[in-house]
Amino acid sequence: MAIVARRFGATDGRVRTPDGGEHYIFGFVDLTGVPEEEIFARRGRAQLPGPLLEADEGDEVFLTLTNLGMPTRPDLDDSHTIHWHGFPNQIPLWDGVPEASLSVPVGRDFVYYYRPRDPGTYMYHCHFEPVEHIQMGMVGPLIVRPALEKRPEFAGRRFAYNDPTTEYDREYLVFVTELDADAHAAVAGVQGFDWTEYRPEYWLLNGRSYPDTVRSGPELPRQPYSGLIFASPGEKVLLRCVNLGYQQHSLTILGITLRVVGVDAQPLRGKNGEDLSYYKNTLYFAGGQTMDVIFTAPEPGVYPLFNRNYHKNTNAGRTFGGMVSEVRVE
Amino acid sequence: MATVDLWAKEGYLSTPDGNSIYFWGFAAAADAPAQLPGPLLLARAGERVTVNLTNLLAVPVSLVFSGQGRIEAGGGPARPQYDPDGRLFSFTDVAAPDGGTMSYSFTPAFPGTFLYHSGANPPVQVPMGLYGALVVRPADYDPALPAYKTAYGFGTGTEFDREYLLVTGEIDPELHRATAAGTPYPIHRFKPRYWTLNGRCAPDTMLPDGVAHLPHQPRGAMIMAQPGERVLLRYAGAGVDSHPLHPHGNHTRIVGLDGRLLQNGTADLSYKRFTVLVNPGQTYDQIFQWSGLGFTPENPIPTVLPNIRNLAVGEAGWTMWSGSPYLGRKGDIPVGVVSYNEAGEYHFMLHSHEEVKITNWGEFPGGMMTMIAIFSSLDPGVGVLT
Ligand SMILES: [Cu+2]
Ligand SMILES: [Cu+2]
Repeated sequence: MAIVARRFGATDGRVRTPDGGEHYIFGFVDLTGVPEEEIFARRGRAQLPGPLLEADEGDEVFLTLTNLGMPTRPDLDDSHTIHWHGFPNQIPLWDGVPEASLSVPVGRDFVYYYRPRDPGTYMYHCHFEPVEHIQMGMVGPLIVRPALEKRPEFAGRRFAYNDPTTEYDREYLVFVTELDADAHAAVAGVQGFDWTEYRPEYWLLNGRSYPDTVRSGPELPRQPYSGLIFASPGEKVLLRCVNLGYQQHSLTILGITLRVVGVDAQPLRGKNGEDLSYYKNTLYFAGGQTMDVIFTAPEPGVYPLFNRNYHKNTNAGRTFGGMVSEVRVE
Repeated sequence: MATVDLWAKEGYLSTPDGNSIYFWGFAAAADAPAQLPGPLLLARAGERVTVNLTNLLAVPVSLVFSGQGRIEAGGGPARPQYDPDGRLFSFTDVAAPDGGTMSYSFTPAFPGTFLYHSGANPPVQVPMGLYGALVVRPADYDPALPAYKTAYGFGTGTEFDREYLLVTGEIDPELHRATAAGTPYPIHRFKPRYWTLNGRCAPDTMLPDGVAHLPHQPRGAMIMAQPGERVLLRYAGAGVDSHPLHPHGNHTRIVGLDGRLLQNGTADLSYKRFTVLVNPGQTYDQIFQWSGLGFTPENPIPTVLPNIRNLAVGEAGWTMWSGSPYLGRKGDIPVGVVSYNEAGEYHFMLHSHEEVKITNWGEFPGGMMTMIAIFSSLDPGVGVLT
C-alpha cells in the first residue's frame, strides 16, 4: 500500500486533426511534481485525453485539482471537478458532482481522496456542465492494478484482475471519444451551442484521428498517446477500452479475436467463480462503459484496428481517418 | 390485480424550460388525466390479468404486452390488424377511435419488469406517449416476509428492501406539434430534444410523485434508501433510442434481463456494471447497494475540508449538498444558496452518459437525470411501487 500523490490542472488548449484543423479544447494537464512557480506557465497546455491516473489496489490516492483558468477564454470563470467514474461506495465530497457537493473555482485547489479496492479500467472526467466540459476534452483514463501482482509467487508478472487467467505481457489504452468542430468553435468564440445538434465529424482514438493515431513521435505534444499497438508473436496484449463519447462504438481488429475478461472494472467471473469471459470480434460499447480485452499476438504483420461503424473512419467526411489504428506484430 | 381499465386520451406535458407539449397517454379513469408513462400495471405470476381499453383518441389504439404469451383480445386470440389493402396497421386488435373499447387478457407466466404500449401505428403512437410498465410479482411474493420480498421469488437471491422503476423515453416536440396540427411528420427524421425518466425531464425527475403542477407526469424518479439496503432498480426502455444509464455511488448487480432471472439451472449469470445500455423494449432488474467508506466524525476523512468560501457550492443558486462530508450531518452552505438537502443525506447522480441527453433542448441540467439519495434514516414506506 503506497501513497500516490498527483496533481492535475484544469485549463484549455488546442488539439489538431490530420486535415490541418485546430480545435479549441478544455482539459487536464499533469502538474505532479511541478514547482509552484512554474504552475502558471502550464495554463493553456491541456492534453487530450488527460494524464493517465493509475494506482494499485489498496493505495491511498491524494489527487489535487488546480483550476488554472482558460487563457483563451479569460471571461470564462467555470469551476471544474474530477469525477472518478465507477468508484464503488464513493461519498459526494470526492465524487465531483457540483450539484451534490462542491467544485473548484479558478485559482483554487481541492484534494480528492481515493482508496481503490477493485482493480480494472475506469475513467475520470469533469462533471461541471458535463455535456460541455466532457466534449471539450476534460476526460482521462484511470487504471487500478490488482493486488495479485504483489504476491511473491507472481512477482514481475502483470494481470488485469486478481485472476491468473488475466495475465498479460503488454497493455494499451483504447480511449474513444468524438469531436464536433462546431461545438468547439462555438465555445472558443463565446457563442451558444444547442447540444441537441451535436454532430461530430471526428472520431478520436486516444485523442487522435487517423493517421495521427499511427504516429509515435513527439509531434503531437497535446495529444501524447499514440494509437499504435505493438507486440511480438505469442505475447498476450491487454487492451483497456474506454468510451467517453456520446455515441456507441463498435471496435474491431481485422484478423484478431478478443477475449473479454472485464467490463466496467468487473472481472467476468460468476458468483461461484465461474469463468464468464468470452470471445468477440467486435466490441460494442456505449458512453460511460469500459472493457478489458486480451488477445494473443498472431504471426508478424499489420492488423488494422478500426470502428466498424465505417462512417466513423473519416475526418470530416474523408476516408481514411477517424477511429483507425494498427496492431503491429513484429 | 385481475382487472384494470385504461383510457387513451390526449393531454399536455410540461418541461422544466417552460414548454407545454401535446401528447397521447393512458389514463387510469375516464375523468383522470392521461399520464406519461401510463399507469403502472402490477400483476402476479400465474394470475389472470384483464385490461379494458377505452379509446378517446381520433385514431385506433391497441395494446401490446412485451414478454407475454397467449394474449386474448375481445374474447379470442389477439391478432395483427390489416387495412383493406392488406397492410399491417396494428400488432393486436384495436379499440376503435372516439370511444371504442377492447379488452385484453393474459396470464403472466414469469415475474419481472415488462412494458406495455400501443401496437397501432407504434412509430408515432409510442413516441407520442402511449406506453407504460408492467411489473409482475413472483407467485410467492409477500412484502411482509423479507425472504419473500423478492423480484424473482424465494431463494433467487433477489430480495430487496425498496424498489424503484425508471422508464426511459424521448420527446421530439416537432412530432407532437405536427400530430396536434394534423400535419405530416417525417418519422425517420425523429430528433429528440427532451429525454425523460418516468415521463419527466430533470430537474422535475427529483420532485415527489403527484406534484400538483405536473398532472400528466405523476411519477417521480428520485431513488431513496439507507446505507446497505438492497434497492431494486427496474429500468424499462419504452422509447425508440438506447440510453447508457450510469448511477454514481456504486455499480448495480443486474439480476434480471427482459423479465427473466439471470440464472441457468444452478449457474448464476448475474453481473455488476457501472453503466447499462437500456435499449428500446428492454428491461433490467438490478440490485443497487451503497455502503459508504466508513468515514464518520469519529473516523474522520484523511483530507482537510477547505473553507467553502474558497470553493464553489451551489453556483446555480441551489445545491443538494449537506455541507458536511459525513452522512446525516449538515455543514456550512454559502449564504444565498438554496439547499435542497433535508437531513444531511448524500446525493448521487443517476444519468444517461450520452450527456447530450441530460439537457432540456441543449441546456444542462435537464433530461434523463435524477439523484439517488442515501439517508441515515428513512421511513420504510418510501420506495414502495404502487
Ligand atoms: Cu470542467
Ligand atoms: Cu462518467
